[in-house]
Amino acid sequence: MKLIHVVFGLLLVVAGITGYVLLSVPPENAVGLAHPTIAGMRLGGDGLARLGSIGDAPFYFQIAVILLATFMLAMGVAPKRRTRGFWLFLAGGALIAFIVWASLYLGYKHYLLTGETGLFFGVPVPTAWMLGGVWGSFALFDIFYAVAFRRYFLHPDDERDFEALVAEMKAGGEAN
Amino acid sequence: MEEYRQTIILGAVMAYMVMCIGVGIWAMRRTKSAGDFFVAGRGLGPIVVSLAVFSSTLSGFGFVGGPGLVYATGMSSMWMAICSALGYATGFYLVAKRIRMVAEVRDTMSMPDVVYARYGSQFARLLTAVTIILGVLGYLATQILAMALVLQSILSATAMFADISLLACVVVSSAVLIFYCVTGGIIASVYTDVVQGLMMIVAGALVVITAAHVFDGGFAEVSNILLKADGEDVMPFGTVGAMASLAWFFMFGLGLAGQPHVATKMMMNRKLSDNRLILPVAVFGYAIAAMLWVSVGIVMRALVLGDVAMPLSAPDEAAPVFLSTYAHPLLAGIVFAGLFAAIMSTADSFLNIGAAAIIHDIPKAVRGRSLDNELMWARIATIGISVLSAIIALGSDQLVALLGAFGWGTFAAALVPVVIIGLNWKGATARAACAAIIVSLAINFAVQIWGIKVPYGISSGFLAMLTSMIVFIGWSFLEKPKDLPRDIDRIMDL
Repeated sequence: MKLIHVVFGLLLVVAGITGYVLLSVPPENAVGLAHPTIAGMRLGGDGLARLGSIGDAPFYFQIAVILLATFMLAMGVAPKRRTRGFWLFLAGGALIAFIVWASLYLGYKHYLLTGETGLFFGVPVPTAWMLGGVWGSFALFDIFYAVAFRRYFLHPDDERDFEALVAEMKAGGEAN
Repeated sequence: MEEYRQTIILGAVMAYMVMCIGVGIWAMRRTKSAGDFFVAGRGLGPIVVSLAVFSSTLSGFGFVGGPGLVYATGMSSMWMAICSALGYATGFYLVAKRIRMVAEVRDTMSMPDVVYARYGSQFARLLTAVTIILGVLGYLATQILAMALVLQSILSATAMFADISLLACVVVSSAVLIFYCVTGGIIASVYTDVVQGLMMIVAGALVVITAAHVFDGGFAEVSNILLKADGEDVMPFGTVGAMASLAWFFMFGLGLAGQPHVATKMMMNRKLSDNRLILPVAVFGYAIAAMLWVSVGIVMRALVLGDVAMPLSAPDEAAPVFLSTYAHPLLAGIVFAGLFAAIMSTADSFLNIGAAAIIHDIPKAVRGRSLDNELMWARIATIGISVLSAIIALGSDQLVALLGAFGWGTFAAALVPVVIIGLNWKGATARAACAAIIVSLAINFAVQIWGIKVPYGISSGFLAMLTSMIVFIGWSFLEKPKDLPRDIDRIMDL
């Protein structure tokens, strides 16, 4: 199976979950409610009720998005450069993103059920997972790009091939 | 020093604007051709490109609209910002190398040029150019509105300009922007971006420190006030809810690389290997600057809900009011200039790609060649787009950030499949590219024109982007792909 088939399949999964959500009957305050006295400000209201009709659809939605993002990123590396080490890194990166996402979501569900949450760096723990964790888990892919640049993203052989192509074009070689 | 607060703020903003005009005049001497005007001759160093990439991404949408959205809806909109690490990864893994290679081999000046090189279809080039113009008008209107709002908040605090109108502020701020864009083109744009990017990093870092000291108990006290007043607002999905937040993450994370004002910058670096440095600098620059987005918005919300401050008359006033009231006068001066920097750095990019679409891409698509005297027409088109966007800005009653989200969604939905996937998959076809663009525009504009409310606050841009990606790949599966031009085929193997 080619990468594009996996990406297409994951897009259909994301679309399926989105369709399921759109077809459910939204609870009264699905997108929050207007503040009774402050213009332009909205309140969240009952978070548990807002998830009532869609269950854990957001959880599965984001898992599909993490997988989709990972496989799309893999498409950016030439097939001949996708070594075992490359796939191991991508798998590790995706696993960390899953763990962060699960921690965020489960922490949020715990808050909805109990009304209790701890603080980390001044914000509720699930929010800390969001601000630092979600960003950080994908920042790993950025760091990997810089660290493994010559191995996977612009291999010296590929750079030489490209320079040869440019030289051919400049020498009047036909392009089309 | 407090009595000089407004003078300091005004002085800093004036100094910044004079700097922009100076760069415009300097760059005018280096702008001798349309190539210089649109892509700076592909000779920029890595630091210049990285600061230009990140400052173009984080705009008035983030610096003015972002705090406004956090004030209004809590943490929901932060999903638009935290996805930046994924967004830049997508851009550099999937686009940066190939778009730079295509630019060098085919001497492309714009994204529609790249689309034509990839698909060999003038219709695909035309649709891409039209998409860019439509998105630019919406997105540029956001920037102009944000600039005017910030300028109005500064000037209205002085005795002389207490009653200054929004229209007057639109005219003054747009005049500076138009001047340096018309005179210096992309060279002025990217070199002002360098200063603007540095100012945004400094502003983001200093503002978060200031915000942390507004309450004695720091951000913990802010969180406790919000947990007591509502709770959902300070939790990860904010008041808008999980599906709306995650749809934004999808659209902004996977859609960043489809933003033409960002992707075009990826064609301008001197060497391919510069990308190794450009990505991390852009990611971390953005992260520091974006701290202003969350810290100002959340503190202003806590101040109002905690009965410490009066409610704002409009959410978009969150950043200006915070800076005018709580920041040290010197810091306020720097950050206000930083706000202008954030706005102008994106606006100038839009003017550039919009002008390219009008005077370079559409004529090429329609009659096979670009206009004579492109440089002169580029300058005229730049003025025309600015004026039209200013009219849209004044006529719109939407929040800055929501107007920006519409512009972003238009670009992301139409261009992500065509560019991101198309540059990495040889099986993609020209007809699929055209179908994807048309479907995405139809969904985006239908929802906007008829005011359709999507359940759960899910963004129409997300729906359009998801649909266009599926249409693009699915349609391509059904067709036998044509052979690619030899140079493009070889580039896609690298």
